[in-house]
Amino acid sequence: MRRRTGLVFVAPALALFAVFVLYPMVTAFSYAFFQWQGTTRGAFAGLENFATLFTKAPFTTDLPRAVLHNVLFFVGTLLIQNTIGLTIAYLLHSRPRTRRMLQTLYAMPYLVSPIVIGYLWTLLLSPTFGPVNTLLTGLGLESWALPWLGDPKTALWVVILVSVWQWIGFPVLLYGAALGGVPEELTEAARVDGASNRQAFSRITLPLLVPAVGTVSVLTFIFAMEAFALPYAFGGSTGNPAGATDFVSLLFYRTAFDSGAADAIGSSSALATLLFLLIFGGAYVATAVLRRHERRITA
Amino acid sequence: MTFAPRLTGSSRPARRSVLAIAALSGALVVTACSPSTTGTSGSGGEGGDGKVTLTVWSWRVEDQAAYTRIFDAYEKAHPDVTIDVKAFKATEYNKILATGLAGANGPDVPQVRSYGQLQGTVAGKSLLPLDGKVDLSGWDDNVVASAKGKEDGKTYSVPLARQTVQMFYNQGLFDKNGLKAPTTWAEFIAANDRLLAAGVTPIAVGAKDDWTLPIVHEVLAAPRFGGKAFQGEVLSGKKTFTDPDWVGSVQVVGELAKYMPKNVTGVAQTDAQTLFSAERAAMIPGGSFDLSVFQKANPGMKIGIFQVPPAPGSPSGSTATTAGWADGNFAVSARSKHPAEATELVTWMTSKEFGQMVTDDIKQISAVPGVEPTDPLLKQMSDSYASSGSPYLLLTDFRYGAPSGTDLLGKGLQELLLGSKDAAEVSQDLDAGVKTWFKPTA
Repeated sequence: MRRRTGLVFVAPALALFAVFVLYPMVTAFSYAFFQWQGTTRGAFAGLENFATLFTKAPFTTDLPRAVLHNVLFFVGTLLIQNTIGLTIAYLLHSRPRTRRMLQTLYAMPYLVSPIVIGYLWTLLLSPTFGPVNTLLTGLGLESWALPWLGDPKTALWVVILVSVWQWIGFPVLLYGAALGGVPEELTEAARVDGASNRQAFSRITLPLLVPAVGTVSVLTFIFAMEAFALPYAFGGSTGNPAGATDFVSLLFYRTAFDSGAADAIGSSSALATLLFLLIFGGAYVATAVLRRHERRITA
Repeated sequence: MTFAPRLTGSSRPARRSVLAIAALSGALVVTACSPSTTGTSGSGGEGGDGKVTLTVWSWRVEDQAAYTRIFDAYEKAHPDVTIDVKAFKATEYNKILATGLAGANGPDVPQVRSYGQLQGTVAGKSLLPLDGKVDLSGWDDNVVASAKGKEDGKTYSVPLARQTVQMFYNQGLFDKNGLKAPTTWAEFIAANDRLLAAGVTPIAVGAKDDWTLPIVHEVLAAPRFGGKAFQGEVLSGKKTFTDPDWVGSVQVVGELAKYMPKNVTGVAQTDAQTLFSAERAAMIPGGSFDLSVFQKANPGMKIGIFQVPPAPGSPSGSTATTAGWADGNFAVSARSKHPAEATELVTWMTSKEFGQMVTDDIKQISAVPGVEPTDPLLKQMSDSYASSGSPYLLLTDFRYGAPSGTDLLGKGLQELLLGSKDAAEVSQDLDAGVKTWFKPTA
C-alpha cells in the first residue's frame, strides 16, 4: 500500500522525465548507429559513425585536442578549487558569526549564468578596452598586460581560473557542511593529548573529509567533462584562439549545428554517446574507488 | 583506537546521487542532438475566413520590423494571405531551423543558409525544389550557385542579398592626416605608416574571432592570389592552396599585422568595430552587412570604402577586386501545408519590387538584378562587385564539407598572427584539410 502511494507521487515526475529525457536519450543513442541525410534517417550503419570520430578530419585532430583540454580543465579546476575551497571553508568554520554571510558571498557568482560571466570577463580582459590590462599598465606592469584570451598559452588557464572563481562557493558550502559533521570531541581529545592545530587537522579532520573531497572531485569531473557555456562565451564554438579553448561539447555543438554536413546527426550523436560513456564510466570508477577508501577508514 | 564517526557526504545515497548526476549529465548531452518527433505540417494555418497564414522564419532579429513592413505590401496585394514573421537569434538559428523543418511547427518559408551550408537541409529533403517555378535566369552565377543543391543541381531557394567585402575607412581621419583612398599598394602602405605615426590604429581587426579572418584575407589580399581567376584554377585542380600566389596572399596578412591593434588575437570583432566607430582606428575590413552597424554606432562619422590595391607579386593582370556571395536565401518547406502560396511568396521575392524594399528597408544589396541601392555606399559596393567582383572563394566553394575552408583559414591565420606557423604551413594545412572532402572538377 505504502509502495503504491509512493509510486503515485513519483509518477508525474517520472512521466515528464521519461518523455523529455529518457525517450530523446534512447533515440539519440540509436541515431549514432544509422546513416543520416540531413534529418532523414538512412540505413543501419553499425559503428561507422564512431569510426568516423577516429579516422576522419576534422575529428582526428580536434577530438584528441578537445579531450586533452577537458582533462586539463578537470585537473586544474580540481586542484585549485579543492585547495582554495577547503581552505576557505576551514577558515569560515572557525568564524561562526560571519560564516553564513561569507558563504553566501562566495556562492553568489554561481547564481549568474556562465554565459554572462564569460562575456563579462571577456570585456574585463580585453586588450583594447579592458580594465585589467589598463590597471596593469598603470601600475607599470606593462609586460603583464597580456592578450589573456588571445594567446593559447594563457586562454585555457583563464577559462579554468574564471570557472574556479565562479564555482568556488560550491565546495566552500560542501566542505563547510562536512566540517560541521566532524565530531568536536575528536579534535578536542587530540588537543588534550598534545596535538597541535596542524596535527589535529591533518590527522583527524582531513581524513574525515575524504568522502566530501571525493564527492566534490566526482562532481567536478562531471562538470569539467560537459563544460560548454563558459568556454563558448570565451572562445565561441571553435574554441578561439586557434582551438586553444576547444572542448568536446563545443566539438559536438559545431558538428551538430554549425557544420551544415549532411551526416551531422550521425557523427554528433556518436560523439555525444562517447561523451556520455566517458562521464558515466569515469564517475562510476571514481565512486567505486572512493567507496573502497571510505570502507577502509570506517573499518 | 578505532572509531566510526558519522562521515559527512559519504552515505550510500550520496554516492548514488553522484552516479545519478553523472548519468543525467551525459544524458542531457546525448539528448541535445535528438531531433524532435516528426510531424507533417508547417505551422501556417487556414483561418475560418479562408485566409492562409504563412509563417516566415529568419535569423535577422534586427530586421524583423523591416520584414513586417515588406510583407505588409505583399499582404495588400494578396488579401487571402497573412504572413507571420518570426525571427530567432542568428547563433541559435541552425539548431532551431533543423528542429523546425523536421517537426510539426516549422515555417512555411524559412530563411536558409547558402552554398555548402544549405546542403544538409537539401539532403534531408526538407525543402521543395523551385525549378520551373522561380526564374533566376539573368542573375549572377555566383549568386545562383548559393541556392542550388550540389548533388542534384536543383534550385532550392531564392537569394535575398549579395554581400560584399571591402575596406571601410574614416574619411575624417584620412583628411586630417592628408590621405586619400589608396589606388596603389605603395599608397596603401604609406597611408598605414602615416596613420601609425599619428597614433591612430591603421587597420582594426578582431582576430580573436576566427570567422573574421578569412574576410580580412579576402579584403587585403584577394588580388595577390588572383581573385576570380584562381577560383577556376583551384576548382579544376590546376592549382592548389599550396600555390605560391596563395601562400603569398596569406603572407600579406602577416606582413600587415604591424598595422593592426596590438595583441590582435586577443581583440574581439566587437572591439575592432568599436575601435573604428570610436575613430581610434582609421580602416576596418568588413562586409556590406557591417555598414548599418557603423552608421548607427557613429552617425556623425563620414565613412568611405575602397578596394585594397594588388600587393607586390600579384599575378599579372590581377586587379583590385570586391569579393562577394549571396546570403539570406528564402526557401519553401517540404512540410508546408500551403506549398502553392509559399511558392508564390518566394516567387515574389525575385521581383524588383521586393528587391528594392530589401535595399531600402533592410539596407542590403538586393540579389535581384537591376535593383539600385539608394544608399550611396551600398551602391558603390554593388557597382564595385558588378565591375570587378570575385567570389569569396572559401565561402562559395569550400564549405561543402568538413573541415570547411573558412574554418581552416580562420584558425591558420590566428596561428600566423601568433607566430606559431608561417604562411606556407597555414596554406599547407588549408590544402590538406579541404582535400579530405574536395574533389576537383577536372
